[in-house]
Amino acid sequence: MEKHQNNQLSFNPQVQVIHLSIDNMILKTDKNLFSWQENTSIFDAHPFFELLIGFTERTDDDEVINFPCIHLEDTSNARICDITFTLKKEETVVVIFDYTKKYKELNQIAQKKNESILLAKELELRNKYLLEKEEFKNSFITNLNHEIRTPLTSILGFIEVLEKTKLTFEQEELARIIKRESHHLNAIIDDMIDLSKIESGKLKIVEERFSFHKLIEGFNESYTQVAKDKQLTFKINLESTIQEYIIGDRTRVYQILNNILTNAFKFTEEGEITLSISKNYQRTNKLSLNFKVEDTGIGILEENLPYVFERFARFNRDKQIPGTGLGLAITKNLVELLHGEIKVTSIPENGTVFNIKLPFKFDVVKATPERKKKKYKLPERKNKFRILVVEDEEVTQYLIMKILISHGNFFVDVAINGEEAIKCIERRKYDLILMDLKISKMDGFQTTHVIRNSYGDKFISELPIIGFSGKTNDNIRDKCIRSGMDDFIAKPFEQEELIYKITKQISKKEATH
Amino acid sequence: MKLSKKVVLLGHFGVGKTSLFRRFMDNEFSEEYKVTLGVQIKKKVISLPSGKELSMVVWDIEGHSDSVKDTRKSYLLGSHAFIYVFDLTREETYITLNKDIEYLNENYIKTPIKVIGNKLDLVNEKEIKSHLTEQNIPYDCLTSAKTNKNVQDFFSDLAKEITS
Repeated sequence: MEKHQNNQLSFNPQVQVIHLSIDNMILKTDKNLFSWQENTSIFDAHPFFELLIGFTERTDDDEVINFPCIHLEDTSNARICDITFTLKKEETVVVIFDYTKKYKELNQIAQKKNESILLAKELELRNKYLLEKEEFKNSFITNLNHEIRTPLTSILGFIEVLEKTKLTFEQEELARIIKRESHHLNAIIDDMIDLSKIESGKLKIVEERFSFHKLIEGFNESYTQVAKDKQLTFKINLESTIQEYIIGDRTRVYQILNNILTNAFKFTEEGEITLSISKNYQRTNKLSLNFKVEDTGIGILEENLPYVFERFARFNRDKQIPGTGLGLAITKNLVELLHGEIKVTSIPENGTVFNIKLPFKFDVVKATPERKKKKYKLPERKNKFRILVVEDEEVTQYLIMKILISHGNFFVDVAINGEEAIKCIERRKYDLILMDLKISKMDGFQTTHVIRNSYGDKFISELPIIGFSGKTNDNIRDKCIRSGMDDFIAKPFEQEELIYKITKQISKKEATH
Repeated sequence: MKLSKKVVLLGHFGVGKTSLFRRFMDNEFSEEYKVTLGVQIKKKVISLPSGKELSMVVWDIEGHSDSVKDTRKSYLLGSHAFIYVFDLTREETYITLNKDIEYLNENYIKTPIKVIGNKLDLVNEKEIKSHLTEQNIPYDCLTSAKTNKNVQDFFSDLAKEITS
């Protein structure tokens, strides 16, 4: 029935003509499409025709109304038709054009078009859901991090206190194990936080000038000792033309190399581990470095190589070898964030080679050396220094008290919330406040604001304040400084760092008065 | 003679007009999406509280993409009510609702318009609030053709309204 004309389909429909009386009875029909009987109501043929009830008013002029694409069916037929009503004064002429084939073809096109639009929407929604889920996961990890770090701070702190007491050999050994496992737990949390930050795009890459040679020397110092303990050889080949000071993200470069080296030492029981660093290219102030870490360890099976950088990829079943399976996933993500490349090759029982390319910049003008960490000394004084610890968790209060009192130079008072802290400083003179950021009544920021802005007495308004928290995102230190605090220390803190920061702030304050 | 009233289902494609149509007419539902081309028409006899019977002829019209103005005029001739259906999960199906209603009110002055938000089984109260209340989207009924929630009641109420 179809004719192809000018690349367009045209159809010759089958037609049925029906003559209706003014009260919609079938007077005459050819039954070409539907075998509706004469002298019956058209309303019995199909509900479509009940529309005619509304067209009671007729004029001398014929009125023609078209209804395209109407689905008509009777007991034996289902057709898709165009229908024309010609409303005459004495009768109605209904012409039915059967375009079933044409409309079924069009239907397929419309189906595909609409389905693709609906699918795109579905994918958009699914994507939105996944993003929300990811966001929830990341905020969950951040909160969990805070909840775990607080007790971990206490565990690590008390172990340090415990180690300084008189212990039997067995007790010393048990304390060492607790310390090692706590550090391991801390490392796992760091890994989880890093991965979640990378995946949510929150990890910011910083460009800083640092001593590259010193960084590598640091690896030499730490891993030579590890190698010695495991009776392995550790070698570093550093190309001599590489600049001492380069510009890049020192922390992330350290993390990348440290992860790869830790891995190499973990899976090597005999032989050697080599870190080689060479220049890939140097143009104007740009520099690309190749890092190669080779080991003579157990190697990786060929079928496992494609999955080495996946999260929780652990191919070694030996539970004695610690690890979360996150290290290499983080490493790859970090390398990519730094716009570098990482590749791995391996021969089972023979060893593994990791090749990393990282871009850096360097100063074309002569570089000045890095500043060393300044040393501070507590001022000479007859009496001890009085510290106010604002913290609501008993264990952390006790830990800080233990650390400070055992140091011998400090008295410690404790306030459990912001309001109590204010009462304390109004009652007594303090040399420094250690302020937890998350305390009740007023939080650490609000309490600092009150101290800085409500007192004419400079001894109170200029009191050194060090904030502390288990939350360790990049902005927290800046937030503390902006709110008027002098410094920030993250939980879990090392005794040495805590004492250093307290000493620094007290001696700085003393120097200005 | 029975009362006969023409009711037209309008709205964007994929909002569930045919699903509501099938649920009301035959108490059936299918997850499969099948596009409606043109119009399919069925009638159902509803008993009214007055004891009379109404023959409700429902026109399930192909969905529009942009605006109700795209709908063929002849399909709307002689209508006794319009049911404007939108999809509670797809904002683009109710973003033009206020304009579409305005157009229908201006061009079909005597024809009442009912607005249905369909696919109630896929959203929760919080989403309804954020999607509809905050965006000032008017509606008469929220339905789920899938679970049959509010479908029969809606058509019964409509039958009463257009015969009163």
